[in-house]
Amino acid sequence: MNRETLNFCDQLNINVVEVAHGIAQDASKYLEYAIDSVVARVAPDGFINSQLLETNQHAVHSLAWIATYVEVLLRTSDWADCLDRENRLGDLDQSMLVVIFGEYLQQLKNGIPMNQVETARPVDLGLESRVAECLSSNDIAQLENISANPDFRLAAVQQLSEREFESPIMGDETLDLVREQFRRFADEKITPHAQTWHDKNDLVPLDLIQELGEMGVFGLTLPEEWGGSSLGKLTMCVVSEELSRGYIGVGSLGTRSEIAGELIASSGTHDQKNQFLPGIASGEILPTVAFTEPDFGSDLAHLKTRAELVTRSSGDSVWRIFGAKTWITHAVRADLMTLLVRTEPEERGYKGLSILLAEKLRGNEKHLFPSEGMSGSEIEVLGYRGMREYEIGFNGFEVPAGNLLGDAPGQGFKQMAQAMESGRIQTAARSVGVARNALELGLRYAIDRRQFGKSILNFPRVYGKLLLMAAETIAAREVTYFSAREKDSGRRCDLEAGMAKLLAARVAWSNADAAMQIHGGNGFALEYSISRVLCDARVLSIFEGASEIQATVIARNLVNSRL
Amino acid sequence: MQKIMVALKRVLDYNVRVRIKSDGTGVTTDGAKMSINPFDEIALEEALRIKEREKGVEVLVISIGDLVCQQQLRTGLAMGADRAVLVQTDQILEPLTVAKVLKVLVDQESPELVMLGKQAIDGDNNQTGQMLAALWGRPQATFASELLIKGEQALVTREVDAGLETIEVDLPAVVTTDLRLNEPRYVRLPEIMKAKKKPLDIISLDELGVEAISQFQVVLTESPPERQKGVIVKDIGELLGLLRKKGLV
Repeated sequence: MNRETLNFCDQLNINVVEVAHGIAQDASKYLEYAIDSVVARVAPDGFINSQLLETNQHAVHSLAWIATYVEVLLRTSDWADCLDRENRLGDLDQSMLVVIFGEYLQQLKNGIPMNQVETARPVDLGLESRVAECLSSNDIAQLENISANPDFRLAAVQQLSEREFESPIMGDETLDLVREQFRRFADEKITPHAQTWHDKNDLVPLDLIQELGEMGVFGLTLPEEWGGSSLGKLTMCVVSEELSRGYIGVGSLGTRSEIAGELIASSGTHDQKNQFLPGIASGEILPTVAFTEPDFGSDLAHLKTRAELVTRSSGDSVWRIFGAKTWITHAVRADLMTLLVRTEPEERGYKGLSILLAEKLRGNEKHLFPSEGMSGSEIEVLGYRGMREYEIGFNGFEVPAGNLLGDAPGQGFKQMAQAMESGRIQTAARSVGVARNALELGLRYAIDRRQFGKSILNFPRVYGKLLLMAAETIAAREVTYFSAREKDSGRRCDLEAGMAKLLAARVAWSNADAAMQIHGGNGFALEYSISRVLCDARVLSIFEGASEIQATVIARNLVNSRL
Repeated sequence: MQKIMVALKRVLDYNVRVRIKSDGTGVTTDGAKMSINPFDEIALEEALRIKEREKGVEVLVISIGDLVCQQQLRTGLAMGADRAVLVQTDQILEPLTVAKVLKVLVDQESPELVMLGKQAIDGDNNQTGQMLAALWGRPQATFASELLIKGEQALVTREVDAGLETIEVDLPAVVTTDLRLNEPRYVRLPEIMKAKKKPLDIISLDELGVEAISQFQVVLTESPPERQKGVIVKDIGELLGLLRKKGLV
């Protein structure tokens, strides 16, 4: 342990890990009161009243954020505890634990920024008296004091800058090996090109995709019998994080394979698995997800694209598709769409939806969508390039009747739910990777940039940013890993996955924004990587379930657990 | 060619900023990332390329150290080695003892080729390969930047002060590898899963009958002196003046 930090914790004679553990338990009590408060507001009659849920949206979403913060306290204290037991708890780790507890407890008591313009405060849930009861212990005051102490902060940022280029070590042989390989791969084959790909709006080169396929990225979680590696979601997180740290466009390639792979592996018929999974695993089949429509994004229950079963003159049956889909990532290159359509026109809402495994021809710059009955155009975007976004129209596009996922009409929404859980974990991991990239860029610049005769890292307003950026990156990472571990243990984790995605997306954005601020005018110049990372980070709280939708899902889940 | 033996040393990762212990007895490795010595990794990569060119070659990886060294051996197996042996000891061994250990294993395994890094990035000793060749009574080709197997011989290009030197050695032989020999591959996820099922045997130093001898002692480990502040000069004249004043020209 560093001498300066030793002073703080030893002089006060506190064991930070133990103290943190106790505080997390107190905070869990506070969360229970928060749930009580929202239950009383939105479910006075023992079931969730949709109208009340909407009227009280700010309070409901405040609950989601409180729960997410309490989750951070629980997961980071577990993380430190685990490092401590394995004798691997370093000086920087302890400092980070102090920073995250110091800051998050203050925010729980005084207001959590859901974003820059909306704050979740105790008063929104009538919890002022509970703050005094649960969040005002001596232990909490002590951690807050250490965290705010300028000498502690200076010592902590010195540890941070010394350890700048190290990856987290998880103490698991396989995971550490996987991380090392993909970190090296990103450093050598992605990072040097990311800025060019973004500037030119280039698609990620096909040979890189092929190489990632050979490394096993696309079949990571698929069973070995279908050409996958049977690895868990936690390994997927590590891989996604490291690739996204290089470039979000590369780290996101696997999202589509993950979702399509999971859909087919869990709901597909044997023939469908046989037909598609080995190709998805090797990267020969590039899939894309086609759920969203121009008029229906988060409100999928109302989507209108319809599929009609017709018998052709040759005698075989096909689905004919009519309608439009939008925000279809990598659509021109994709070979397979998981297409959410209404197959039961008389059924309203979720019940009439099915998923079709729709094969299409790859397009090129001249003919974007050569398949019959399909047309579309590119949606130009601020960031998250590398695969490009498209809007697609279907006018009689055909899918063989046998390509109805699981041969189960009307099951689309149910089939989708589980795969989306995996997609959310993967998105949280991508966000952690982007957050790390921003942190590293900000830290590197702060060390190198000299103003007023010294490195700007020495200014409290610069290192204050970096300390919280680093601590929140760990917070987001630990919540993400926890949700992956839950999923790997066969438990439902939509609550944890939602919290991971909600937090990690905000952290990626705030890290990018703060890192740009540290860059000053240079950060605003297109030639500096942080300008791209800022654009890339912005999408994370929008796609794969916008933060506001995520907050509703989390809060509903918590309220339902009481009913 | 039937068998290649490759020695892998566990060292502090080259990206880690090394920190000296406060009492000067060495460097801290607690909680820091550890890796295969990069020169050894290059040796393994070359062995795997030979295996891929010439069918039926077995690649055996060896490490010497405590149980955590299994991690580096698993990495070697995931890269493509067939089998691993860990010689377990808690002691820090000097190059001569390491060479003796390898010699015992060479006698047991009878490889046609033993490959290892020209040096490890921790101690920078650059002795083990040479000592092994002497103990074994076989040829050595050090600092290899190119390696070609031709039947019973190996053609090795070496990086020497004067440039590149190509020598021919009879097999069995010891080859130590330099940085430019190759670029090690990325480990593929399916290979990581396969590596879990490959054999990794652990034998103790005592069982091998090798006694650890200690011939030198580390007196002090310290950081290099901090770089002094420089001065900016206007022109060559001023530069020469300053250098003369310091007696450097």
